[in-house]
Amino acid sequence: MAGQGIRRREVLRILGTAAAAAHFPGFSKWTFACGHVGNAALQIKPAMYHPQFFTLPEFGAIERLAEIIIPSDATPGAKEAGVAEFIDFMVSSDPEVQYSFRTGLAWLNAHSEDVNGKRFVQLTQEQQTSLLEPLGFKDKTRPGEETGRKFFRMMREYTVTGFYTSEIGYKELDNPALKFYAESPECPHHDDPEHAHVAQAHSG
Amino acid sequence: MTIRSMRMWRRPIPDKSRWSFVVGRSRWWLANPKTKLPVKLNDRTSDQGRTTNDASPLKTMPKQIYDVIVIGTGAGGGMAIKTLCEAGLKVCAINAGRRLDPEKDFRYHRMPWDMKFRGLDDPKRRSESFGYMDNEYTKAAWDHEIPFTVAPGTKWMWPRCNAVGGKTNFWGRSSARFGDIDLRAASRDGYDVDWPVTYEEISPFYTRVEKMIGVASTVQNRPSNPDGSYLPPFNFRCLDFILQAGCNKVGVPYLPDRCAQLTQPHEGHPACHFCGECTTGCDVGAFFSTPYFLLPKAEATKNLDLRTNALAKNVLVGENGHAAGVAYIDRKTKQEVEVYSRAVVVAASCIESARIMLNSKSRYWPNGIANSSGQLGRNLCDHLYGESARGYLPQLVGQPSFPDHVADSTIAWMPRWQNLKDPHEEKFIRGYSVYPDGGCEEFPWFANDLDGFGSLFKREIKRRYPSPVSFGIQAPSLRSDTNFMDLDPEVKDPYGIPVARLHFEWDENVLKMWEHSKHVCAEVLHAAGGVLEGSGQNPEIPGWSLHETGTCRMGNDPKNFVTNRFGQAHDVPNLYVCDASVFLNCTDKTTTISILAFSLRTSEHLIENFRRGEHKAA
Repeated sequence: MAGQGIRRREVLRILGTAAAAAHFPGFSKWTFACGHVGNAALQIKPAMYHPQFFTLPEFGAIERLAEIIIPSDATPGAKEAGVAEFIDFMVSSDPEVQYSFRTGLAWLNAHSEDVNGKRFVQLTQEQQTSLLEPLGFKDKTRPGEETGRKFFRMMREYTVTGFYTSEIGYKELDNPALKFYAESPECPHHDDPEHAHVAQAHSG
Repeated sequence: MTIRSMRMWRRPIPDKSRWSFVVGRSRWWLANPKTKLPVKLNDRTSDQGRTTNDASPLKTMPKQIYDVIVIGTGAGGGMAIKTLCEAGLKVCAINAGRRLDPEKDFRYHRMPWDMKFRGLDDPKRRSESFGYMDNEYTKAAWDHEIPFTVAPGTKWMWPRCNAVGGKTNFWGRSSARFGDIDLRAASRDGYDVDWPVTYEEISPFYTRVEKMIGVASTVQNRPSNPDGSYLPPFNFRCLDFILQAGCNKVGVPYLPDRCAQLTQPHEGHPACHFCGECTTGCDVGAFFSTPYFLLPKAEATKNLDLRTNALAKNVLVGENGHAAGVAYIDRKTKQEVEVYSRAVVVAASCIESARIMLNSKSRYWPNGIANSSGQLGRNLCDHLYGESARGYLPQLVGQPSFPDHVADSTIAWMPRWQNLKDPHEEKFIRGYSVYPDGGCEEFPWFANDLDGFGSLFKREIKRRYPSPVSFGIQAPSLRSDTNFMDLDPEVKDPYGIPVARLHFEWDENVLKMWEHSKHVCAEVLHAAGGVLEGSGQNPEIPGWSLHETGTCRMGNDPKNFVTNRFGQAHDVPNLYVCDASVFLNCTDKTTTISILAFSLRTSEHLIENFRRGEHKAA
C-alpha cells in the first residue's frame, strides 16, 4: 500500500489554506489539550474554565460523567480532550436541550442523595460507577429510572461526539483522515478475499 | 435532533425538524407581512407582452444584447456556458449565489476541532438544515432564503446550492451512462414512453464528457450499464472483497463504481490525494466541478459575463412570443435587472427551471413560457434513497484502521441486476442499484448504539471502528400524473416571486424495489459473514437524493412534451433547457454525467442554429 502518510496539517500548509482557528469561549482549553501530546503540557493548567451554561456544581458533574464514560486509561480520555467544555459550549448554544441537561443533572443528584446520602460529585469513584451502571447497561436496567437512563444516554452521545471529534479522539482511533495517500489505498490481504483468517491472525 | 448527528453528515435528520423549515418558513412569512421586500420591486410580471425595447431600465444607454443568457452554472449550465463561449458566442451567465473562494469556503481540510461547532454547525440553525450535506463545512453554499411549500400529504426536501457551480461543488461523483435499457424502457415494459434519443446518438457525447471530467472505473460488460472510457479504478478495500464474496454467493454483481474522481492527473487537473469526505468540497479540484473544470475555460475566451447573486425571476418575452432575455433580482441591491439576448438557456435545476418558466407569464404564454402542452412542471420523478441494510463485518473487528473513506460510497456499487433478461421477472418493473459503504469513517457513528461506558466501552469503539457496513438503495420513481410541481397561489418569496409547491408521493413500484433491496442486502451481508443490525425503517423522504427529473420532458410531440429531442422548447425555438428537467425519468443511475452529455448535445444544437441563422437579434 502506498500510504505516503503526510500529515494532513502539513499538506494544508503546503496548499496555503491554513485553517483559522475559531475563537470562542471554551475553545482555548480543548485546543490547549489537543495541541500537546503527552501529559507534561497538561501540567501547566490553563486558567480556570468558566462554564457558559452550567453552574459550577453542574459543570463538575458533567466533567465527572464525561470522564467516567470515556476514561483516561492506557490512552488519554474525555478529560484530556476537553469534552466537558465542549458539552458546555454546545448546550449553551442549544436552548432545545438545556432543560433536559438541567433536569437530568437534578435527577442524578436527587437519586444519589437517595441512595448514598451525598451529591453525585461527592461520591467515591466506585459509588459513582455503581450508581451509573443501571443507567448505562441494558441488562442492568431497573424500573423507575427512565429519566436517568434517558439523561445518561444523551450525556453519552455528547461525550462520544466531543471526544471523537477532538484530535485526541482521532488519534485514539488512528483515524485515517489524519493522512493523505499518493495512490488509492488497497486491501493488503490478497490471498484471503473473504478475510476469514485475518481476525485470527491479528488476535493471535 | 441532538448532536448525535455527526451522523447528520451522512444520515437522515428526523422528519419533524426537516419539515419545520418548509412549513415554519412559509407560515412565518405569511404571518409577517413586514418581511416583504425592504425595497419595492417593479412589478414587471404584470407588464405583459411588452417588447424588449420599452420599459428598460437601460433605456438611455445603448442596450447590450448577448447571444445567449444561461441561467445556472451547475452541471447543465456550466457545460452550456463553456461550449457556447468556445464557439465564439457572447454569453451572459446568471447565478443565484456568489462565487465560492476555495481558500475560504472549502473547509474540508480543516479538522473538526478547528471548527467552532466541530463541523456540526450551530444547533440553533438545525431547523433550517437541509440534512447531511448542509453542515458547518458547506453552509455558505445553500440557499435558505427562498422558501417552497408542499401540498398536503407531500414530503419534500429541496436543498439548493446557489453558489457558482451549484451542486457540482459537493456531488457524489457516481457517473454511470444511461443505456438503451433506460432510454427505451417503455418499449420493453410498456410503461410511459421512450426517450426521443437513442443510446447510439448520445453515446459519443458521454465519451467526450468522460474525457473532459475523468471517470475512474472498469469495463464491465453489463447489459444495464454501457461501458465508457475510464481512468484506472479505485482499489478495492478489505470490506469490498468481503462483500464481493457475499454477492458472488447470492448472485448479485459487486463492481467498481464509475467515479468522477481523478485516480491520476487528468487534463491539467491534479490527482486525488484520497483524504475522503469529498462531499464537503475539494479545494484542489481533484474531482469534476464546473468552477474547476468548465468555467475557467469559458472565462479564458473572454466571451463570458458571469453575474453572481442574480436570482432569475422570469424569461422576458418579445413581440413574437420568443424569449428576449431574462429578468433577475440583484440580491445585493434588491433591484430587478433585465438582460437581453438572442437565445436563453434555462439550467437552474429541475424544479427551479420549471418555476422560472411558470413565472414567465405573458399574453403569449398565460400559463408560463413554452407551456402550451400544460406539461411544464409535471412528470416529476426522483430517486428513492434509503438504508437497505446495515451491520458490521466481524472479520474486520479489531483490525488496524484503514482509509476506507477515500471516495465515500462511490468506490464500489451493485449495478442494477433486476429485470435484465425479462422486463417482468420481478414484482416491479425497471430496476435499482445499490451503493455499499462502510469501514473507518470520519466519525464512529455506530458508537451510540453500543452499550455501557468506561474503558470497555472505549475499547469496543476502537475495535468496531473498521467494521461497520451499510447498503444504500438508489431506485427510480415512475412518472405519474400526481407527482409534479406548480406555483403556490399564495406564498411568495422575499422578492415577491411565487414559490414552488411540490406534490409528490412514492409510487407502489418504487416501494416494492425498496422492500426487495432490504431482503437482498440482508442476504448479501449474511453470505459475506457479516452481522445484520437493521435497516432504515422508511426510505428517505422525496428530494433527499437531489436527483429530481422531468419537469420539462423532451419528446417529439409538442402536445405532450415541453422540449423537443434537443432540449429546445417546442413553443419557443430560442429557449433551451439544459438540466435534468428534460429527462423522461431518473433511471437507476445518477443524473450528473447525463446532464453534462445532454447539455453538450443541446448546446451544439443551439450553436448550429446560430450558424444557420435561426436565432437573430430580437
